[in-house]
Amino acid sequence: MDGSHPSHEAPSIGQPTPEVVSAVSVMNSQYLLFGSLSLAVLILSLLFLARKKAQSRGNSLLLVGASDGGKTAILSTLLYKQTLPTHTSMQTNMANISLPPSNKALRIIDVPGHPRIRDQFREYMSDAKAVAFVVDASTISRNGAAVADHLHQVLHTLTSLPPSQVPPAFTIVAHKCDLLKASTNATSEQLAINRVRTILERELDKRKASHAGGVGMESLGAEGEEGAELGGLECSGNEFKFAEWEGGEVAFIGTSVAVGKAAVVDGEKRDGLSDFRDWLVELP
Amino acid sequence: MLDHCSISHKGGVILWSRSFTPAASQSAASSASPVSSLIRDALIEGRSAESQFEKDGYALKWTFVNDLELIFVVAYQRILQLTYVDDLLAALKTLFVKVFQPFLATFVASLHAASSSTTLLGASGSGSETAFAWDFTSTFEKWDTVFDNLLKTFETKAAQERKSRLKHIDPAVHTPVESTPPSDDQSTFPSQSNPTTVDEEQIARNVQALKNRLKPKGPGGAAGRKGRRGVGGAGSGLESVPGSDSDTPSKAKKSKTKARRKWGDEAPSESDMASLDFSYIQVDSPSTKQTTMSLSALVDQASMGTRTNEGMYEVKDWDFDVPPTRNVAAATAVEKPGTSLGALGSLFSRITGSKTLTQADLAPVLEGMKQHLMKKNVAKEIAEKVVESVGEDLIGRRITGWGGTNTAVRNALSTALTRILTPKTSTDLLLSIRTKLSESQSSMVGGQTGKKEPYSIVFVGVNGVGKSTNLSKVCFWLVQNGMRVLIAACDTFRSGAVEQLRVHVRNLSMLGVNGATDSKGRVELYEKGYGKDAAGIAKESISYAKDHDFDVVLIDTAGRMQDNEPLMRALAKLVSTNSPDKIIFVGEALVGNEAVDQLTKFDRALRDFSAASGYGGGSAKERGIDGMIVTKWDTVDDKVGAALSMTYVTGQPIIFVGCGQTYTDLRQLRVSNVVQAILDD
Repeated sequence: MDGSHPSHEAPSIGQPTPEVVSAVSVMNSQYLLFGSLSLAVLILSLLFLARKKAQSRGNSLLLVGASDGGKTAILSTLLYKQTLPTHTSMQTNMANISLPPSNKALRIIDVPGHPRIRDQFREYMSDAKAVAFVVDASTISRNGAAVADHLHQVLHTLTSLPPSQVPPAFTIVAHKCDLLKASTNATSEQLAINRVRTILERELDKRKASHAGGVGMESLGAEGEEGAELGGLECSGNEFKFAEWEGGEVAFIGTSVAVGKAAVVDGEKRDGLSDFRDWLVELP
Repeated sequence: MLDHCSISHKGGVILWSRSFTPAASQSAASSASPVSSLIRDALIEGRSAESQFEKDGYALKWTFVNDLELIFVVAYQRILQLTYVDDLLAALKTLFVKVFQPFLATFVASLHAASSSTTLLGASGSGSETAFAWDFTSTFEKWDTVFDNLLKTFETKAAQERKSRLKHIDPAVHTPVESTPPSDDQSTFPSQSNPTTVDEEQIARNVQALKNRLKPKGPGGAAGRKGRRGVGGAGSGLESVPGSDSDTPSKAKKSKTKARRKWGDEAPSESDMASLDFSYIQVDSPSTKQTTMSLSALVDQASMGTRTNEGMYEVKDWDFDVPPTRNVAAATAVEKPGTSLGALGSLFSRITGSKTLTQADLAPVLEGMKQHLMKKNVAKEIAEKVVESVGEDLIGRRITGWGGTNTAVRNALSTALTRILTPKTSTDLLLSIRTKLSESQSSMVGGQTGKKEPYSIVFVGVNGVGKSTNLSKVCFWLVQNGMRVLIAACDTFRSGAVEQLRVHVRNLSMLGVNGATDSKGRVELYEKGYGKDAAGIAKESISYAKDHDFDVVLIDTAGRMQDNEPLMRALAKLVSTNSPDKIIFVGEALVGNEAVDQLTKFDRALRDFSAASGYGGGSAKERGIDGMIVTKWDTVDDKVGAALSMTYVTGQPIIFVGCGQTYTDLRQLRVSNVVQAILDD
């Protein structure tokens, strides 16, 4: 009896301990399982979201270009269906519009072209679906160098986007076509496009040649990452041609707006911005 | 008397504008409009704290409404002393915001579309966006009459004041005593009878006086009056162009038109005033506005009633305080949660830090920022101006988030500094050299000589800042880039200056270029000893460079103090005889308050004397400084304020930074770096 007592005692003592231990361990493992599972799900979904975000192109149209090009006028025409008089912008405008046929929503970002604040366009680049470089076709022959300077920056930014982002569609808008006189064999739009293309190619070619083989100067402070060297002008050919630009396809569109005239709301009649609208609608 | 008046959004959309002369309306349509140049050259450059901007004979004054992001600009002939412009702007601002508040809020919201998430303000904006017909023309149509009335009031008042100043006869002395104090009364407690009687009295007297004065000019004035009604039509030119010739007739004619108009408008405005006096509207307007969104109806009545009262009331109060706008904004705010929720809202907004910034909130923070900037060796004057313009941009703005005022100011300062330091012209020296060389070569194709025009750079500055040293660094860099460089020793004053350059040239020609063992013949010195005329030597050196196929001429000048007028004249002569492609000012990073003085005086002297002297074949063009080199950068650690002072003063970029003892110690400035250094504690 004596022997049985401890023997009885022993399991009774021994019993609870493993039971408790096992219960804790079971609970623990259950928690752990749930915890790890949920964590895994969370991480996976986060990864998925992040990837989706990275993969998706943005939903913005970026209007860039030199001052007095007509960016804000284009914005107001698209947004308010009428062209308002404008002056030099001091800050970025952002507006949501919907494009007529399918009511596709689009955010337009109009970045001022003043040299001191134009660099803001880089902040919006990650969200850009399309970039439109607006050029005043009537003054391009005078301002060619300054416009090309800005365009160079834009091209450089476009080519140095992270590979995870779908590169935005790029177009050069030859604005204020109506100020050019149409000749017999070309409409003013074609004329404007040709002029803008020729002058910008010439200026960019100059810049390309000047940077080739030059010894750049280091910029102050932390070296590396974005040196003074500005790339983005790589071409398959020797001379710079938009058709051969390695950064992607460059579309050219001729546009014009007139202050005081109401814009065409439906797609039936054509106005100065119709080509541009078509291009926007056709964006993937 | 005004030439142009416009109300616009900071994003560039002009909401309403009016030109009073054909010339002004013509220029307003082009990119050279005075308003655009005001924004380009003053507001974006961080000079918004200055009170006046002058351009093409116009003087411009402006004011902001920061929560609605509006700019009010008035332009007038610079020679006119218009005392009422500030008051007019303040009154315009209050009235415009008051009348169009809901529309403007929707408008501003439409230009701040967030990507997809809609904030409180955005929701109201986008909700009405689809239903909202953006009928700008009809919305602001009514504003024309309101503006006319307002302007008329101010012009009448100004004319009266001037009259009383001009005529020192008894009745005239009597006038101000009688006319100004009542208007004071009127502003503080608007009673019903007082304003109308005073108005009538004033007008009657005014009309009497003007009729006497203006008898011969009757028909012209009438024509002008008609023209004024039309929006910047040709008729208005008839009135203002001859008027601007001399001061008195124009004033007289103007007052004449006022008098006439008062006659016509007096009856309706009187009756309106009876029903819609100031206090009544104050109480009533918020509710009216909230319930009915129909703006046009509101405009019509409110404008007439508030016009005089509100205008004068504002005028008195504006000078010392901002609160009037704030009160108005608060009273009429429709969709701002903070104000409508009362105490709870304010508590909430205090927790989240969302509030409207006022002068009182900003003053201590801005003062601290100013001290901080000065500690970083920014010149006092510049620090004050920068901080002031940052304050100007922030007053009335609503801040959100946890940071509070400090963060808001810091961010605003950071953007302001970036804006000031970012060059507005290309700093790519190599590109402009290559462009010039290729241009001169292509233009010479048909020519017989085939000589290219060298690119010339003049280095100027005070004594001992390192002109020669940095010239040699630039020379080294150019040689590395395959240029042939001629150094012209135009410092014919300091002993050893020529020898110093000779040593540099010897060193540079021994250094290898792109793997080649030496660069002999790539760099030469053009020297003519001491005591000669520097301008002559520079001229000779350029023609020498042309003959010997050099690409670049670097002209070293003697250092001189900015106050030494004969020497500054000599420098201007050197510049105007040779018309160099670039004039580079060399300044040291150690300089503090002196930087402002140095640069302004060098720039001024170069411009004045080069324009006046008219060397260089009659094309006496003003030439100022084109760029700067900041030297001894390595000695100042993070106290880099001199860079800010220098760029602010000239508006020109810093092309290079000298930061050491060897030829390679030349750097390009990186803006973000400098901003960081200045803001760091």
